[in-house]
Amino acid sequence: MSATDIQIAICGSAGDGTIAAGNILRNAVAEAGYRVISFDVYPPEIRGFGKCISRLRVTTEQVYSLKECSDVFLSLDDSHAIPHVGEVRDYGAVIFDSKPVVVNEEGAHISAHVRPGQIPYGFPFREISEIATGANRSRNIAALAVIAGLYRLPQAAFRRTIETTFGKKAKAVIAANLAAFDAGYAAGSDTFKLDDATFGSSGGKASGAGTVVILNGNAAVARGLIDAGIDTFFGYPITPATTIMERLAIEMPKRGKRLVQTEDEISAIAACVGAGYTGSRSATSTSGPGLALMMEVLGLSTIAEVPCVVVVSQRGGPSTGMPTKTEQSDLNAALYGSHGDSKRIVIAPTNVEGCYRCAGKAFEMAERYQTPVIVLLDLYLSNRYETVILAREAPFDRDCTKRWRKTDHDEVYKRFAQSKDDVSPRAIPGDAEGMHVITGLEHNELSRPNDQPEMHTEMSRKRHDKLDAALTHPDFTVSKRFGDDGRVDVGLLAWGSTFGETLEAMIKAQAEGIRCAAMKVVMLSPFPAAAVSGFMDDCRHVLVPELNYEGQFARLVQAELARPVVSLARVPGGPMRVEEILAEIRRLAGRTSVGATPATN
Amino acid sequence: MTHIAKPVHLDDKLEEVRSSGRLEYRSKALPTWCPGCGYFAIVDGVATVLKDMGIQLKDAVVVSGIGCASRFPFFLSTYGIHSLHGRVLPVATGVKIANERLTVIAVGGDGDGFAIGGCHVPHAARRNIDITYLLFDNGIYGLTKGQVSPTSALGFKTPTSPYENMDQPLNPLLMVLSHGASWVGQAYAGHPEHLRKMIAMAAAHRGFSFLNILSPCVTFDRTNRTYSNLGMAVCDLPADHNPTDRLAAMAIAQKTDRPALGLYYHTIRPTLGDNLDALIVKAGGTPSPSCGAGR
Amino acid sequence: MTLSQTAPRHHVIIGTGIAGSSAAEELRDRDPDSRITIITLSRLPFYHRHLLPQVFRDVDDWRTFQAYPPAHYRDRRITLRRDTRVARVDAPNRLIHLAHKETVRYDMLVVATGGRSYLPEGLVEFFPLLHSFGSFKEALATRQALPDGGRVVMLGGDMIGLNLARTLVDTGHQVTLVSGEHTFWPHQVSEEQRPLLLAALADLGIEVIDGEKRGGIAGIELGASGLPARRVVFGDGSSQHGDVVMPFFGLVSSVDFMAGAGPDIERGLLVKTNLRTTDEHIFAAGNVCQVWTDADRCYRFYYGSRNVSNMGTLAARNMTGDSEQFEASAEDEQLILDAEGRIHSPFWE
Repeated sequence: MSATDIQIAICGSAGDGTIAAGNILRNAVAEAGYRVISFDVYPPEIRGFGKCISRLRVTTEQVYSLKECSDVFLSLDDSHAIPHVGEVRDYGAVIFDSKPVVVNEEGAHISAHVRPGQIPYGFPFREISEIATGANRSRNIAALAVIAGLYRLPQAAFRRTIETTFGKKAKAVIAANLAAFDAGYAAGSDTFKLDDATFGSSGGKASGAGTVVILNGNAAVARGLIDAGIDTFFGYPITPATTIMERLAIEMPKRGKRLVQTEDEISAIAACVGAGYTGSRSATSTSGPGLALMMEVLGLSTIAEVPCVVVVSQRGGPSTGMPTKTEQSDLNAALYGSHGDSKRIVIAPTNVEGCYRCAGKAFEMAERYQTPVIVLLDLYLSNRYETVILAREAPFDRDCTKRWRKTDHDEVYKRFAQSKDDVSPRAIPGDAEGMHVITGLEHNELSRPNDQPEMHTEMSRKRHDKLDAALTHPDFTVSKRFGDDGRVDVGLLAWGSTFGETLEAMIKAQAEGIRCAAMKVVMLSPFPAAAVSGFMDDCRHVLVPELNYEGQFARLVQAELARPVVSLARVPGGPMRVEEILAEIRRLAGRTSVGATPATN
Repeated sequence: MTHIAKPVHLDDKLEEVRSSGRLEYRSKALPTWCPGCGYFAIVDGVATVLKDMGIQLKDAVVVSGIGCASRFPFFLSTYGIHSLHGRVLPVATGVKIANERLTVIAVGGDGDGFAIGGCHVPHAARRNIDITYLLFDNGIYGLTKGQVSPTSALGFKTPTSPYENMDQPLNPLLMVLSHGASWVGQAYAGHPEHLRKMIAMAAAHRGFSFLNILSPCVTFDRTNRTYSNLGMAVCDLPADHNPTDRLAAMAIAQKTDRPALGLYYHTIRPTLGDNLDALIVKAGGTPSPSCGAGR
Repeated sequence: MTLSQTAPRHHVIIGTGIAGSSAAEELRDRDPDSRITIITLSRLPFYHRHLLPQVFRDVDDWRTFQAYPPAHYRDRRITLRRDTRVARVDAPNRLIHLAHKETVRYDMLVVATGGRSYLPEGLVEFFPLLHSFGSFKEALATRQALPDGGRVVMLGGDMIGLNLARTLVDTGHQVTLVSGEHTFWPHQVSEEQRPLLLAALADLGIEVIDGEKRGGIAGIELGASGLPARRVVFGDGSSQHGDVVMPFFGLVSSVDFMAGAGPDIERGLLVKTNLRTTDEHIFAAGNVCQVWTDADRCYRFYYGSRNVSNMGTLAARNMTGDSEQFEASAEDEQLILDAEGRIHSPFWE
């Protein structure tokens, strides 16, 4: 059986149970052993009947992004869904309610908008629910069951997921939803399938390697922090990072750990540094506006060499900007945001599994190199769901502190003692004879204020040079090359969530016969100059797609390596369009032809 | 109580200091403060209290922000953090939350605590984080050479208020009382014995204790908070003041022309650490006094 | 009736067979600014049903049969509304009520819903045991039910069925034809010709049983275990086993939804030679309509792809100002047995 790669979109209003249907579908296919990436688009309003779209891509192989076109589209509310019908490719399926309760004006029913190449499937969702349960409340379950039936997805996985989802409700609710599911499944499986979306075998749930869970980026961050042994967390709510804190607020107390919601982001990071000083694994999470407030304390963390972990989920900016839209425009802020020479470690995961790994590894790095570490996500990564395989043993070192132990009776503790690797052994409060005062002032080895030019030069060097070791941090992928080996026409250099669309574009370009490779850069500071430069040696053109206006990463690459790149910087508020990257690859490769066009007009 | 100082003989004083053991708590760094600064009395007071309470050097963390007062940790031989302007309370909160075994003393001036760091005071107070906050209230920015501060008197002329200070001074005592602090007191650097006693009481309190220490800036303020002016103005709290009566405490705090010294208010309620531990128990976890710290 | 001066004219075509598709194309050519909507119950766009026997040659993707790529509709701005059931047409108000409670207003309407398989009344009760062959879905279902080398019992034997029978023989299956009055439908076959034509079928490898001689079909049953899945029982008590039993008794027009709409209906929608119904805004084309023939002074059906296609085109022209008369293609009607005993029919091309 060929590899499965199907993208399903569910569109409706908030009141239709759209996101709930998407969640069940997502969890059920994951339960059935497929890999899933999903991303929901919510209305900006908290209540009401705004548009919701839940998109999920179901695969057997690891993929890094959603697809440009969906294969299957389910409308739970035609007025919301009609503008999105065009995202379904030719010979994909558009599934809708064939017996809506309301009388429609001409053109208000989605069947008027299904494109000629798409396959329409009308089902009476409401009626199916009513016949099966006596009520129409399970209409969304009936509708997703139709999908399950039409594509012969394993019923047991769905039934288990429904039982789990409604587990806390009355038995009658579970029973009604199961009945609606069964009826919908029967309707779907009795229907002759005409679209060409097919699900191959899932290959079963991965076993041995670990457990398969489905997480969004923020939940993965929370899980990573927990698995790496977070002790304390201080945070302030801000979209789109809040759910990291919310998840931790549930999970940390169960493990005897402490979380405090502070009065602002300054307080949050200041408390992190205070906790970090005591040897506690402490973290905070925020978005761009909060990062801006944290910058002064980040400088303190740098100069006082106190470990702290800051997870930043970017949204559209500047200022309040676009709080519910995704963007990658806080790169400069993450890299440089503070005063003075305040270099720090900045890592940016490219998928949900990466969120887990980066969060956990951030503690290792913060501790080992005695520095602030910023884990840079964006809204798209924070909120999208993917199947993640978690190892049975958390892959994180729980103690990376280079600890000071008194060896000589007369030894005076020097907090910032010179050391081969520029990392000075730490004493922490409670250690006898390790007493010292850390300071935001430039200081000498004893941490006494000292502003002599030689001292400031040497301490600046120490604080910068010690970070280079992070480029070879154990069991951490700093950068990775994909695609064609050797010389290529176009090399793609991407970071963060945009790497997903970049890789997708690369694969399509390869299919068109363009020699193409892509490198994801996970560690943005210190910059992996050798690896990136080596990659660029192989590329006739280097294209840097990213979601900001200024081409911040392109500028970083050019500043670090003094080599030209082609910047593809866009600020659509959503993920970068694969087609847009592909068009640029074609242009650079000297191709003018276009491939298959989606059903977009 | 009387604050009239008796004559002190130098040899007696030196003997008293040497035998007290509190010198162990002082670092070899000589304070950078101006001769005559009230802060000398505070650092001596803190050293004495730590010694008297039997708190080991390794178990105390003194946290400061930025300002004259904030050099304070360097003059003690405990652990310490000389942090950022205004951030003393959040940093101290982080230390205490991470390790409840540590004695955490936060120190800072009125500009540090009530101007730039003003947003943190209400929250430290209401959360009842178990730290001691010593406010060195001299009504001026000393480190930057004498600018107007949030507790400067009306009309005060400084380099940034060359004609006069037009802003109503803040009342830290009244504010902290209203924020719900569980221990609030006032002392005067010119009365070192009483100051020491008040520091000892504040440090012994389980919860957020706020000690407002009136202290003259002998270099930049020759008109308002001088030793002579303050010495004339300060008085004792009324003998019948009930320190569990918050409204009475607030009424006295408003009499800023005759600052009263002593314990204004105290109550016992769960600290932030107590509440977090209760939450951990509720969630099915096991509290630990050092939340990972000292691993 | 005056048409709206602001909104473009809306031509609606019900049905997406040969007639409807031809009409849509012609309408676009002649009325470039109009809205054109095709409404059909089918989930698929127009595809070649006469090619369906190829499913037995391992063609299982319906796209092999599709007449036009999706771009055909996109380029011509033809809205193709599929999986859409017409509940009722309100001719006086020029409204089409769709089953999902949407109302579509038309300026001109072409009914081109074609025909569906006719099943003699006596066989209706056995419908669940029969395999129809009217759509891609039914074609695939039949293929799945028929084992390699399996036997098809074909009842009636219209030209659509015989076209399939030729393919089945060619693909190694066995075909038993139960002949009767519908054999060779829609061709009119004389009593002299019939035995010769049946013999020609036998030459092709089709086993022919004379249904009349067996006393007609008395019933259809499930086969006993170990035997083929179906058993056709004749009036004389004899029987014939087969893996599938397929009825091919010609077509009847699919016109039920037009009942009460306004235009006159007999067996099909009655149209004049210009293909206009008795309602001035409604035309009809293809197997759904009976066309007035001056020569015979009666209404009659015309079959064959050329006729049907011509009717669609003609209806479109007459809707847009022309006044042409339908003339049947004689070739479409001819069934020829050549000197070597081979059958030639327009339905077999």
